[in-house]
Amino acid sequence: MLTFVDEILLLMLDDEKGSFLPIRESTMGYVLAGAVLMDLAFANRIDTDPSQLMVLDKTPIGHSPHDRILENITTSNETRDTKAWIETISREASEIREQSLASLVDTGILESQEEKFLWVFRARRYPTIDGRAEREVKLRITGVLLSDETPDPKDVAIICLADACNILRDVFSEREINRIRPRIDQIRKLDLIGREVSGAIQEIEQAIMAAMTHAHH
Amino acid sequence: MMNIGEEKSDSVVIVAIEGRVDGTTAPELENRILEVVDRGDVNVLLDCAGMTYVSSAGLRIFLTSARKCQQSGGRLMICSLQPDCKTVIETSGFHTVIDCHDNREAALATVS
Repeated sequence: MLTFVDEILLLMLDDEKGSFLPIRESTMGYVLAGAVLMDLAFANRIDTDPSQLMVLDKTPIGHSPHDRILENITTSNETRDTKAWIETISREASEIREQSLASLVDTGILESQEEKFLWVFRARRYPTIDGRAEREVKLRITGVLLSDETPDPKDVAIICLADACNILRDVFSEREINRIRPRIDQIRKLDLIGREVSGAIQEIEQAIMAAMTHAHH
Repeated sequence: MMNIGEEKSDSVVIVAIEGRVDGTTAPELENRILEVVDRGDVNVLLDCAGMTYVSSAGLRIFLTSARKCQQSGGRLMICSLQPDCKTVIETSGFHTVIDCHDNREAALATVS
């Protein structure tokens, strides 16, 4: 069974090229951190409210980055809110990403290819070899966003993550996105971790905009 | 700590919640609501007058239960939220996907 980290990484990849869609590094960090926390929340290991994140059960879930992060939260001396944990965990984004990609290669969903460019630089690509998992995720997303039905919390979570890193544009046309924007806005509020991920990304974007405006003057 | 009461008013089963709905207690509430829906009572009113706290795990159960009621041809409603819980429900937009009412009477009046 795929984790939220696996699912959002599949959505972030260009299927044919095997490279990541253009997503800011900080955005990817926050989204992957949120995905880890969602995995832990849906496995009943943690719970959250607007002011704190609590450990319910410290039993590992069997995924190494998640279990290490769960242990860090469990052994932390201070009570922190979800946003603070998203910021902390986002620093480990590259490790979270690499471990999930390795697992997706192991299960035959992606293949790993190394390519050289300019004779010296190496880049790794992950073309999709079994697209069923990603198609299923996209079907769940479209099913929720194109209907008025009460959504499943798991579908809410993946929509929050996909919208936070602006990759719903890879699922819907620009026109469709504009049409369903009210539904996206309704859905993405329903998950507290997802809301905090979006909030953290917006803060970074506003800071960048402010810095750019300042530089122009 | 959470207590659950149950009573029936015409075609609606009222599930009265007392105490905290969090990661520890939410599974019990979910099982209770699913039990009600599975026996054919698909219109459920969660009376939250005694609910003192609701966490994300609790909100997820509200959503799962509302979905189950809807898929079974009925609906889930919520009433009598205390101010703190009402704020949580409204901040997270749950009142846009689940019918929320000020009291039992107002909720029951919407069911024909």
